[in-house]
Amino acid sequence: MAKKRSKFLMIWVITAVICLFLFLKYASPKIFQVLMAKDHTMPTPSTLMMWYMIMGILAGLVYATTSNQKFADFLGFLLPGGGPTIKILLQKVLFIGFPVIVGWFVYSWAIPGAASPVELRIQHPTLPQEFEKLENPFRQTDAETQRKCIEEGKILFQTYCRPCHGSKADGNGPFSNSFRLRPINFQDPGTIATVVDNYVFWRIKEGGPGLPSESTPWDSAMPSWKDDLKDDEIWKIIMGEYDTAGVMPRQREKLE
Amino acid sequence: MIKAFKSVLISLGLIVLMTGAFVGRSEVSAQTSHLFRTYKHEVPQKLSETSEAIAEGKKVYEKRCWYCHGIEGKGDGPASKTMFPKPRNFTRNEYKVRSTAAGSVPTDEDLFRIVTSGIEGTAMPFWNTISETERWQVIYYIKTFNEQFKKDTAPKVVSVGSVASTPDSIKRGQELFKEVKCYECHGEDGRGNGPLTVALQTEWNMPYRARDLSKSWNFKGGNATEDIYRTISTGFNETPMGSYLEKLSDEDRWHVAHYVKSLSKDMASDVVVKVKLSESEQLPIEPLDENWGKATPVEVPLAGQILASPRHWAPSIDAVMIRALYNKDEIAFLVEWDDSTNKQEEIFRDAMSLQFPTKIPESLKKPYFAMGDSSGAVNLWSWKAHWSEGFGSIASGAPETEAGAVIEMNAKGFKNIVTQPPESQNVTGKGIYQNGRWKVVMKRTLKTEDAKGDIQFEIGKLIPIAFAVWDGSNSDVAGQKSVSSWYYVSLEKPVPKTVFVYVLIAIVIGASIEMWFVARLRRFPPKLEEGQ
Ligand code: HEC
Ligand code: HEC
Ligand code: HEC
Repeated sequence: MAKKRSKFLMIWVITAVICLFLFLKYASPKIFQVLMAKDHTMPTPSTLMMWYMIMGILAGLVYATTSNQKFADFLGFLLPGGGPTIKILLQKVLFIGFPVIVGWFVYSWAIPGAASPVELRIQHPTLPQEFEKLENPFRQTDAETQRKCIEEGKILFQTYCRPCHGSKADGNGPFSNSFRLRPINFQDPGTIATVVDNYVFWRIKEGGPGLPSESTPWDSAMPSWKDDLKDDEIWKIIMGEYDTAGVMPRQREKLE
Repeated sequence: MIKAFKSVLISLGLIVLMTGAFVGRSEVSAQTSHLFRTYKHEVPQKLSETSEAIAEGKKVYEKRCWYCHGIEGKGDGPASKTMFPKPRNFTRNEYKVRSTAAGSVPTDEDLFRIVTSGIEGTAMPFWNTISETERWQVIYYIKTFNEQFKKDTAPKVVSVGSVASTPDSIKRGQELFKEVKCYECHGEDGRGNGPLTVALQTEWNMPYRARDLSKSWNFKGGNATEDIYRTISTGFNETPMGSYLEKLSDEDRWHVAHYVKSLSKDMASDVVVKVKLSESEQLPIEPLDENWGKATPVEVPLAGQILASPRHWAPSIDAVMIRALYNKDEIAFLVEWDDSTNKQEEIFRDAMSLQFPTKIPESLKKPYFAMGDSSGAVNLWSWKAHWSEGFGSIASGAPETEAGAVIEMNAKGFKNIVTQPPESQNVTGKGIYQNGRWKVVMKRTLKTEDAKGDIQFEIGKLIPIAFAVWDGSNSDVAGQKSVSSWYYVSLEKPVPKTVFVYVLIAIVIGASIEMWFVARLRRFPPKLEEGQ
């Protein structure tokens, strides 16, 4: 039994690689759908797929070379004779299959496909100087005034920002699907929780058009609100926005 | 020799692993956006309806719901100004998604499901983000706004079995759709363009729009066949969408539900519109030309223009579908969208525009997606429906050709729009309205004389494109429109013959390496090494 198995080592390795491919292609999208409770399958991204396949093939080769005996068996499959008809058949399949796969690879690389767009951007560019010194006038007031500001801010947020950023500030408003650069999910700890109050003030006042070019202002649907909202209103919105999202602004570092 | 081979392999593997993990992260996060919410059916164990629960519910309500639904539950919260439809008034029985007969209040489970799922396309969020206990509590609290909850022991609609979806059942459903006059509101093809809807909107000025049944992702009460069955059985309180419990037998309601389900399609969204090369001399200019079938459609969701005042909070057009073909001289686009009427007024007209940058961008930089900016001009191809007194009253039936007018413009921001001079107007176009859908073709040569104001198409490049649509019956005009952000068109290169030569060469090389390797192996079998 052990003897027979080692004779077909190369076939086992190839079968394992094919199984890995089938798993990534067909099983894993379904598994992730269930695990992440999504309503749609989650296909493995193509580059990820490529890396996994390379890793799989390498793992197979590493396994085949764990001992000299294994390596000899592995390559031994290609030697003529000394096996059942099935071996000869598989040998033929292998000999024909290899050049065909190479040809197929070249074909899929060479046919002109539409390039997919690269849209890299920096989400948090540096704050322009004129906004650096600003401070939220309502953060220092007494608790009662602050509470009122938050309430007012929440209402303003619901009125003006909700269609995009969503009523829970989760980036899921009814218009959010229309903008490929999606409205930001403020509950995500990587967004407004990582910046200071006046940074948000700048973003609301100047919007997408106020961004520097490394942040792709041409794709940003974030409106500039400077003509429609007064500074006081913006400070209140900020308080309401943080409260709705349930996060806190980053504390300012003490200046020396 | 094997040892060296092995250590090379292992270090290679480690490098791959690290890069793999990095690449994987960035790609997976780009994938997570999922477009539409769904109606969730599961309901957990109920909480008992005690006065403490109601008191807790009041707290939740006054934290999370009041600014839309109003402190007294009247649906007039301070934030409701920009919301269409308006938040539910809990003091009246206007509940839509119920499993109970028309005019009855919903069951607690119905409320739990809708509060958990939210309502697609409206301000109503999904509240699976608060605990189940909090959800039950707030539901018990909103029930206190309406006395009817105490009086009604809500009668459940009983569903007797189900009928499998077969072609026969769908066909029967289609007949019934006519017989019981669903089409009067929902239109022949279910696009929400029935004559009654048109009358409701334009003559009685009522805010109701019959649902476009082909876009089932917008169904408020879910789009599974059971959900549609329930909607047909119970209707939506206080809307024109009535209950068919009495008018149709149980079996017939299933037939209709299967038919409605068969009308719905998926949104074929994509980022790049692939433009196919057409072999024919002439590209189609007729919107109904069958050659359009050869092009792959891409659907693009639209939002109201709320980037600059005057803002449009309540757009009625929420998607366009686009196809394109090119040949050696020309390119043609077919743009389609659902619009419940082709009614319009002199200034409020149905219209559509395609937007391109004036030059194909060489770097990442593009003009601003909303009409360009001072540093990046855009080229607009704008089509506007024809209008004359008393026009546009045919709501269904034969296609109505409205050639309309096509003009080419340039813009550098929405305050800086100029129409191109007559000699550079080189886009032609034509529109047709049929059964609740506009189909508009626009066509131009790939290159033009006006290289400054016109986009020059090049094969294989990614060319940004954006869309805007106006609905005359919704009083859309100028900045009051539905818009998209930048997408791309790409003129597909035909597969060059040389590819097959490359493939042949690759196969020959592959085969030779293989033969060399095997021949070598057979001459020096690996066993020898072991025997040393
Ligand atoms: C038309 C849709 C739209 C509306 C309305 C809108 N936003 Fe945005 N917002 C966006 C988009 C898209 C982004 C992401 C692109 C960017 O950073 O510019 C964004 C980004 C932001 C950011 C940057 C967050 C970060 O971490 O970088 C803030 C802050 C913000 N919005 C606040 C608001 C506030 C406050 C309002 C209401 C006054 C509002 N937005 C209204 C679309 C919108
Ligand atoms: C941002 C605004 C907003 C908030 C916040 C909000 N709602 Fe709503 N809600 C709406 C709107 C708008 C509708 C009406 C949608 C429609 O008619 O299609 C609605 C409808 C409803 C309905 C009626 C569903 C039906 O079948 O007719 C219920 C119940 C409801 N909301 C409960 C809640 C509860 C509970 C909360 C708080 C936890 C809440 N809503 C918070 C906007 C909101
Ligand atoms: C008098 C006009 C009218 C008639 C007749 C009518 N509907 Fe409707 N229907 C509407 C309106 C209006 C809505 C949207 C209600 C809303 O969202 O408030 C609607 C919504 C719907 C929905 C969407 C439900 C959801 O979950 O969002 C379905 C499905 C539907 N109708 C099916 C039918 C069928 C099937 C018939 C015939 C048996 C029918 N309707 C007859 C006016 C009508």
